[in-house]
Amino acid sequence: MIPKKKKAVFFTVFFLGCLWTGVGFGASKRAAYLKVGLFAEPKTLNIWLASDRWSFSVLSKIYQGLVTRDPETLELIPWLAETLPVYDPQTLSYTVTLRDAEWSDGSPVTAEDVAFTGNLIKEFKIPRHYWRWNFVKAIQVKDAKTVRFVLEKPMAIFLSRTLTTPIVSKKEWEAVAQRARKAGKPLTALMNHKIKNPIGNGPFVLKTWKQGAYLLLTKNPHFFGKGLKIAGHVLGPHVDGVLFKFYGTSDAAILALKKGDIDMYWWSVQAGYLGDLKKNPKITLFRNERSAMYYMGFNLRKPPFNDVALRQAVATLIDKDFIITRILQGDGERMDSVVPKGNKFYYCRPDTLWGAGLSREQRVKAAYKRLVEAGYSWKVPPVDESGKGVRAKEIRLPGGAPMGPFTILTPPADYDPLRAMSGTIIQEWLRAFGMPASAKPMAFGSLLDQVKVRRDFDAFILAYGKLSLDPDWIRAFFHSKNDKVRGRNMSGYHNPEFDRIADLSAATMDKKARRKLICDMQKILMKDLPYIPLYTPKMIEAVRNDRFSGWVNTLEGIGNIWSFCLVKPIRP
Amino acid sequence: MADGFKTRKKALSRHGHWIERWKEGWAIYKKNLLGRIGLALLSIFTLMALASFIPPLIDPMYGPMSGVDPAITASTGPSARHWLGTDFMGRDLFSQLLAGARVAFTVGITSAFVSIVLGTLIGMVAGYLGGWTDVFLMRAADLIMVMPTLLVVLILAALFGQLNIWSIILIIALFRWPGVSRVIRAQTLTLKERPFIDAARVAGASHVRIIFRHIMPNVLPLSFLYMTFRVTAAINIEAALAFLGFGDPGTVSWGMMLQWVWKTGHMFKAPYWLLPPGICISLITLAFYLLGRAMDEVLDPRLRKEGERY
Repeated sequence: MIPKKKKAVFFTVFFLGCLWTGVGFGASKRAAYLKVGLFAEPKTLNIWLASDRWSFSVLSKIYQGLVTRDPETLELIPWLAETLPVYDPQTLSYTVTLRDAEWSDGSPVTAEDVAFTGNLIKEFKIPRHYWRWNFVKAIQVKDAKTVRFVLEKPMAIFLSRTLTTPIVSKKEWEAVAQRARKAGKPLTALMNHKIKNPIGNGPFVLKTWKQGAYLLLTKNPHFFGKGLKIAGHVLGPHVDGVLFKFYGTSDAAILALKKGDIDMYWWSVQAGYLGDLKKNPKITLFRNERSAMYYMGFNLRKPPFNDVALRQAVATLIDKDFIITRILQGDGERMDSVVPKGNKFYYCRPDTLWGAGLSREQRVKAAYKRLVEAGYSWKVPPVDESGKGVRAKEIRLPGGAPMGPFTILTPPADYDPLRAMSGTIIQEWLRAFGMPASAKPMAFGSLLDQVKVRRDFDAFILAYGKLSLDPDWIRAFFHSKNDKVRGRNMSGYHNPEFDRIADLSAATMDKKARRKLICDMQKILMKDLPYIPLYTPKMIEAVRNDRFSGWVNTLEGIGNIWSFCLVKPIRP
Repeated sequence: MADGFKTRKKALSRHGHWIERWKEGWAIYKKNLLGRIGLALLSIFTLMALASFIPPLIDPMYGPMSGVDPAITASTGPSARHWLGTDFMGRDLFSQLLAGARVAFTVGITSAFVSIVLGTLIGMVAGYLGGWTDVFLMRAADLIMVMPTLLVVLILAALFGQLNIWSIILIIALFRWPGVSRVIRAQTLTLKERPFIDAARVAGASHVRIIFRHIMPNVLPLSFLYMTFRVTAAINIEAALAFLGFGDPGTVSWGMMLQWVWKTGHMFKAPYWLLPPGICISLITLAFYLLGRAMDEVLDPRLRKEGERY
């Protein structure tokens, strides 16, 4: 019989022992996973099919390109490439040498992989990528680590757009491509290929994707950057993995961040949440510039917006400062050109800043004057005989017919409340001016289908995010050759002078001469106004500061490859 | 001459009969406490709807959609200038609440009225004609009845873009008639066996005349009773749609106010913004429900207490 006292001591010691070993065991095994909240779940892990932000958030950790941008200077720097390639004007070629790098399965990254990626894009004409490879005439593999690109003509965007394309493994994709070639629709077959375990060359690899719940990436032991010093940073990754959780609403994600269920919410935080988050000592907010354009576009293929005078009047009536101070709550900057002001090298101030610095009444008077000159009339004009601004009724086109009702398509409020609200407010301003405008938020996919495929619309509010610092996209968005079904010239803008300058700018390799041409393009666009640039919002991101540190601020926020390679757990 | 006098006298006596019936019904109604509460609440909301036109006349900043206080650029609490405070843009919440009452009445009453008209017509025709017409109309009613209205509207909005308020009203009306038509059909089936219908038929009255002249007056009270419940459903559906982001963006409704408070991240921070539209939706649906309950008692003597039967 064991005495009661001894029994109690024995059990206490046993219990404490279990607790101590348990804690010790747990601590030694606990992985340092960075938990990231996403607004929505990725649609696919097929890099060629991915077109949504959430898929890219994950894929950008798995696949890497040959060059990237320095987070501080934003200059291009070698990434998978060992050095920045130099252009040879005699042969119109670039030669790239690769670093010693391995795929996540341990096989080496070779010049064959690079050539395979480029040729795959060219052969299948993969949307979203083909336009930056179609001018590459030949891709020659010199040796295992050297590849040479021969261009059809000089192309200024080669470094910034072509070489940033993610490189895929030939071993993984060759069989897929062969099967796709035999299919009736090769491109569809390629893009519909389901990827379960992508072989990548980035800092992380896919561990598990439990659809509807979470996606876990773990550290890639073969990542080429591990321990390397690039752009002054010694790369990791220093975390064991990244766990992505999907929330669907900002409310739920912010709550999870406050409770510590996630370490970062990878989505711009709405102004309404900022007050609470600022007060929380365990949360740090990062504000960064964005390379983005939020704009109102018109359908120039049909009346009434095929009239430049009407577009100029609408631009005058839109109070961008109101949208920024009221709807964006100050977290944004007005846009007066298609190039964001943050892009200091290429931004050019246009000759006319439509409606800038005008009061509501002055705005109405200026728009009224412009439209009267163009032959428009009203049943009740917006400016009465005494020169006072009044609520107008029934604007009439130069021919005398009343303007028919038109819609301003916007994304729905659950996708982007700011754009939906901007559409509603613009609708109110136009209605007060006698224009029968109606804002119509619609599902994002349907909106794109209506604008790009059916091309049956009047006006729309959309945005381009993560715009390249080299603004060659201006050429893509407004060149008349892109006015086609699914083309990038959504407005149907045609201007031979613009096309000529755009083509010239693409082939101009001298940076200063190119800047001058891009300035001319901006000026033409701000006169013709196929798009009215509205604003560039700030990127405000929230992270917890009690588990991880080392986030890297750069253009477009902290959710960049540098942060994921440098963030470290805070050990007590 | 004598015939004309007789017709006028007949019409006057019919008119007098209706007034008598109305007085009788009102006497029963006003004894019902729930009915009185419902009516009082509805009177308040009617006043709100009527008053919604006033604030923008006082100052353009009280315009519910685009009027903003020049001195305020963020959500603020109640003050003398803004009785319920302002939303994130500096728009007056009280003006929005008043405008929301107008929208609630428009949506509720219009869609309920259309659904009642449809339901009554279809119910009467199905019940009176019977046969294949009845089978066809009632199967159609069954088919529509099992469809979830909110889900269908959400799918339509996703496919064709956000719907304007009149499309929403029409869709709600088109999906809410089957319940009414079933009740009216049942009532018509009992009515058409009554002697006065036989008498009309023997006298040579056409089917249309029998339906509209003899059956309709007897089923209308029931239709109006159902209308009160349909109003409640219509207001709730519109509010849900707007809250989920599928409402008419050009309309300031209570559901839209709730959507704005949610989407701008003020849900748990601005009770002065969140609570009023929520409370109003609850109270107006309660008011119509109480009205319906009291009307039920007026129309169905079995529901009255002993000694109160008329």
